[in-house]
Amino acid sequence: MPPSALEESRAAALEVFEREPVPTWRRSGFWTTTLRHLRLDELEPRRHEPLGSYDELSDLVRESVGPLDALSGLIVQSGASTVFAWIDPEAAAQGVLFTPLERAWEEHGELVERWYMRRLSAAEGKFPAATAAFWTGGAFLHVPPEVRLEKPLQVVYLIDEPGTAQYAHTLGVVGHHAECTVREYDLAPDLDGQALHSGAFELYLEEGAQVRLAHLQDWGAGEVHDISTKRVEIARDAHCSWVPIHLGGHLTRQELDIITAEQGADMRHNGLYFTEGDEHLDLFTTDLHEQGPTTGDTVWKGALTGSSRASYEGLIKIVKGAQDTHTYLQTHSMLLSPKAKADSIPSLIVETDNVSASHGGTVGEVDEESVFYMMTRGISRMDAVRILVEGYFEPVVSKLGDPALEALVRGRIAEKLSKAEDEVAEYIAERS
Amino acid sequence: MSLEIQNLHVRVEDREILRGLDLNVAQGETHALMGPNGSGKSTLANTIMGNPNYEVTEGKIVLDGEDLTEADPDERARAGLFMAFQYPATIPGVSVANFLRTAVNAGREEAIKVKEFGQLMRRNMELLRIDPDFTRRYLNEGFSGGEKKRAEILQLAMLAPRFAVLDETDSGLDVDALRVVSDGVNALRGEERGFLVITHYTRILRYVRPEFVHVMLDGRIVREGGPELADDLEEKGYDWVREEVAASAA
Repeated sequence: MPPSALEESRAAALEVFEREPVPTWRRSGFWTTTLRHLRLDELEPRRHEPLGSYDELSDLVRESVGPLDALSGLIVQSGASTVFAWIDPEAAAQGVLFTPLERAWEEHGELVERWYMRRLSAAEGKFPAATAAFWTGGAFLHVPPEVRLEKPLQVVYLIDEPGTAQYAHTLGVVGHHAECTVREYDLAPDLDGQALHSGAFELYLEEGAQVRLAHLQDWGAGEVHDISTKRVEIARDAHCSWVPIHLGGHLTRQELDIITAEQGADMRHNGLYFTEGDEHLDLFTTDLHEQGPTTGDTVWKGALTGSSRASYEGLIKIVKGAQDTHTYLQTHSMLLSPKAKADSIPSLIVETDNVSASHGGTVGEVDEESVFYMMTRGISRMDAVRILVEGYFEPVVSKLGDPALEALVRGRIAEKLSKAEDEVAEYIAERS
Repeated sequence: MSLEIQNLHVRVEDREILRGLDLNVAQGETHALMGPNGSGKSTLANTIMGNPNYEVTEGKIVLDGEDLTEADPDERARAGLFMAFQYPATIPGVSVANFLRTAVNAGREEAIKVKEFGQLMRRNMELLRIDPDFTRRYLNEGFSGGEKKRAEILQLAMLAPRFAVLDETDSGLDVDALRVVSDGVNALRGEERGFLVITHYTRILRYVRPEFVHVMLDGRIVREGGPELADDLEEKGYDWVREEVAASAA
């Protein structure tokens, strides 16, 4: 019966998709995320042949994920097709499942059905419905109770030609007292033309599970539109550290939600973005506490160059019955160009008593006194700015706890800064 | 070899703070610059280093014959000037060790070797009695007043400038910390280096004995002498200078 459960789910999602208009997201009167330039009709799922080995993956993918022997598993989806799927035999021997979601529905239907879209719904809108109706390939991971994986489980969604519509779905379940690291990378080379990534990510941590989760998005300089929902649910006494890294995308609208669903659940959510050119980034995160005591800590940091726009809205929601919750949310943006615009909107909904919840947001520029200080040590103005920006991001980057990924992120940030060097120099010269 | 300040006039926003200041510090000498709050001491320090918030309207800053009045702060640093800040900036996310390496390399053609840098840093940290864990902390983030001043003098030791301005380095230090910092400064004194020690109080001058003392009032130097001038000020206070200056003007 499981495949028919999936078929039913897809059919219901298709109805929503056909009924719903293409959305426009408006916020506080002046911030709008619109898809009016997206020519959705011209995009379609692109099929690709499976690759025979890791060595056949593109340089972009291999350089981003690193060597196979540093991973517990690797699934690479290019366009609509899984092109590479591998699990470390040692992990497989411990009962770990790491397989394309399509195949998981066939081979482990009952298990998948129990978790599939528990916290996601096609009714959320046109794109969540599109993803639920049209996804292909996908990724499924299941770490059995008490299993500890040292090396990361790695999922990659790659868009490698313009005209692609990619519908992606990752489902993960980490059993009680299991420990693992999960990475999902969304990558594209610099495409000449439009593409769409419509994504769904759901991860469930059972009692006492410990997970490090990282998302890395770098869609390159092409016109990739990313509309995704990512949700993490944390059960009793489980802990998740989630670090989403946004390094590029023409237009991104994402909802990133983390739910501490049961007593003792704890989450650390540290995010980073760097926008450039005419990129548009619209992030909405929710830190939802359904029971108490639970704890949370959210820190988002961004930097903007060019005429890019970034809006970050962070909501803390503590529902009735979640007494003794302690949670914090901070968001910071740093403007590196006079034409860039940033919005930071922390907000709070508390429906119960006896909690501590606080939030704060800043939009700032490079601190001139700090630049002067460094220059008095012989450091050039540009290097001083670079050091300040890297230092500003460092507390988030170091939260990755993954040296290879940390090096990758530091390297990409340094590249972006050096690309923007002239513009940043002009900006700071104007201000001093 | 000397740092020469010639007829310096400096404006901050719309106020003239320095009003024709002259000062010469030769290499190998230690000068104290004393004055009450608001006399322009920190303005002088910031102007020597080229802080863009301070506008030089007249006069010159010359180092070994090279006019640095219009130079950027990093050029001045590479030319051999250094300032220990009264309120150093916090550089989040950048460890003390990383910052020191970057600063040391900024003044060199070729990057310093890792081993050589490590030795240099350890030696200077011993000199300033700094705990080894200190170098892993983010520069000045959560530092106590004493730690900040030690970090400033550590940078001085690592960069080995020809002229160093110490801007109120004694402020916020207890006696023990003041002694450690002063010992560090004394160890760095020598033929190849000049110091300008800016202070409101004389207490640091008991440990770092200057050869020359200058007293500043309302943007000018009004009294100059040897270390005994500091002792007079200790005893009689700045009002005594103020009255004398007023009397001679009248």
